[in-house]
Amino acid sequence: MDTGRTLSRRGVFAGGAALGAAAMMAGEHILLPHAASAGDARAPAHPPHLVPLHPRVDQITDIKVCIRPFRAAGPRLDVERIGDKTVFHNYGHGGSGWSLSWGSANLVVGKVAATLNRKVAVIGCGIVGLTAALTAQRAGFDVTIYTRDLLPHTRSVRANGSWTPASRIALTQTAGPAFADQWEQMARFSWATYRTYLGLPGAPILFEDNYILSDKPFDEGPARPAPAGAPGRMPRATEDFAAFDSRIRDIIPAAEDVPAAENPFAAPYAKRHSLMIYNFGAYGHLLLSEFHQAGGRIVIRSFHTPQDLTSLPEKVIINCPGYAARDWWRDDSLIPVRGQTAWLPPRPEAPYGLDYRGAALLSKTDGVMIQAVDLDGLGEMTGVGNSFEHPDPAEAARAIGVFADLFARMPMAGG
Amino acid sequence: MTMRIKSTMAACMAALTLGMAPAHPLAAATPCAEPAHGADLYRTACAMCHGTRLEGNFETPALTGRFVANWAGAPVSELEAYVHRAMPLMAPGTLSPDDTRAVVAFLLAANDLPQGKTVRVGARTRSACPS
Repeated sequence: MDTGRTLSRRGVFAGGAALGAAAMMAGEHILLPHAASAGDARAPAHPPHLVPLHPRVDQITDIKVCIRPFRAAGPRLDVERIGDKTVFHNYGHGGSGWSLSWGSANLVVGKVAATLNRKVAVIGCGIVGLTAALTAQRAGFDVTIYTRDLLPHTRSVRANGSWTPASRIALTQTAGPAFADQWEQMARFSWATYRTYLGLPGAPILFEDNYILSDKPFDEGPARPAPAGAPGRMPRATEDFAAFDSRIRDIIPAAEDVPAAENPFAAPYAKRHSLMIYNFGAYGHLLLSEFHQAGGRIVIRSFHTPQDLTSLPEKVIINCPGYAARDWWRDDSLIPVRGQTAWLPPRPEAPYGLDYRGAALLSKTDGVMIQAVDLDGLGEMTGVGNSFEHPDPAEAARAIGVFADLFARMPMAGG
Repeated sequence: MTMRIKSTMAACMAALTLGMAPAHPLAAATPCAEPAHGADLYRTACAMCHGTRLEGNFETPALTGRFVANWAGAPVSELEAYVHRAMPLMAPGTLSPDDTRAVVAFLLAANDLPQGKTVRVGARTRSACPS
């Protein structure tokens, strides 16, 4: 984090307006941008009255397992001919499918437009397929989605549903520098599109305060270097994974230190940032409704080999199968990265998120999500190569235990 | 904001300067000279909005994909006339006719479209010009 900026924010809040006024009188115009940037953040002068959550294993309503479709080179976005069909691939977005979906769709639909066809088939109705279909409709295409399952039943909905555009999206070395530019283009376009879904009834997309808690000071030391040699298709360590987030820090709300006096949690160190989250129920229904209202057609169909596509009437196909590409497109460049979320009943009176001791919690409209992100200190290697798609109740209990323990220790304001 | 205004002004100045400049001496000397000159002009006058890779953004259209579809079959002279009267957005009309032709030649080449009187999609050949 930018320590200098954080310190200057604290200074401004401590000194109040007098500091800014003095600076202006002294003609120190250069201080004004600091004051302005500090003023953007919300920093209450007392601990916020957050309602405690006290999650318990006996409150679990569902455990969902996702398999992130990871590719070392980044998502597959190339073009392939199958018979007389032109297939535009759009899959393999790792842990960033939701976050990059609109930007990826924008890239692919741009390429499809240049073919001058007016009818397009979209394979798959996860978040990547559905946003590709909507983007194609908005570009004037007549769109049919061919899919085995609709959005609520696809792997997409087993994600945690928050803005994570660079989560296991590629390996830095394998993807190469050009992908970083492409990622930035996708991330910026997606972010801008998601913002158009803010403030709507049912809160399909919203911002929530997310608290990052720690038992020891946040490590600001230099990043460890990646292991020597090229990783190829398989990641070897956290450091192999691409870290692109700093490229878009000008549009993503920064994390700020929560001073001890304002920290309501029983963890001595805390940061807070405003996190964009996707509420699957409201957002999924909204996107499907938009697709139907714009005249889109959905055909339930299962494909077994790439040759099956030659029977479709459309000449142009956008292929969005997600992890299923490994089976039906025989694409073994897809590496499974397992993730699991436990869901507890919604708690609308406690709308915040937590990251602590390798577990994450998000209070969403469709439930309180608790995820074991990295309970064993494996970093980004957690779940790599694991395609076990069945729930692991013990893992869910460990993650819930992290927060049960946190709330049990704290005399929380208002709690 | 100050920076944005400054950079916009700089781009306007650059566009005005380019508009007054004589035609590129290499223009039309070889089939590749015009797109190459156009690429230089693009970097100076267009890339700040449409992106260095013609990729556009949420507000500004890409100059690939749908751009190709929108102009397919149209006379190249119409595209040139549009670019000349409407672009760059902050200083329209500042590209000279020669520079406008060079920018359009660059846009066709960048989309693998053949040079000629019509925007011909489907007859595309891999550009022989180094990009």
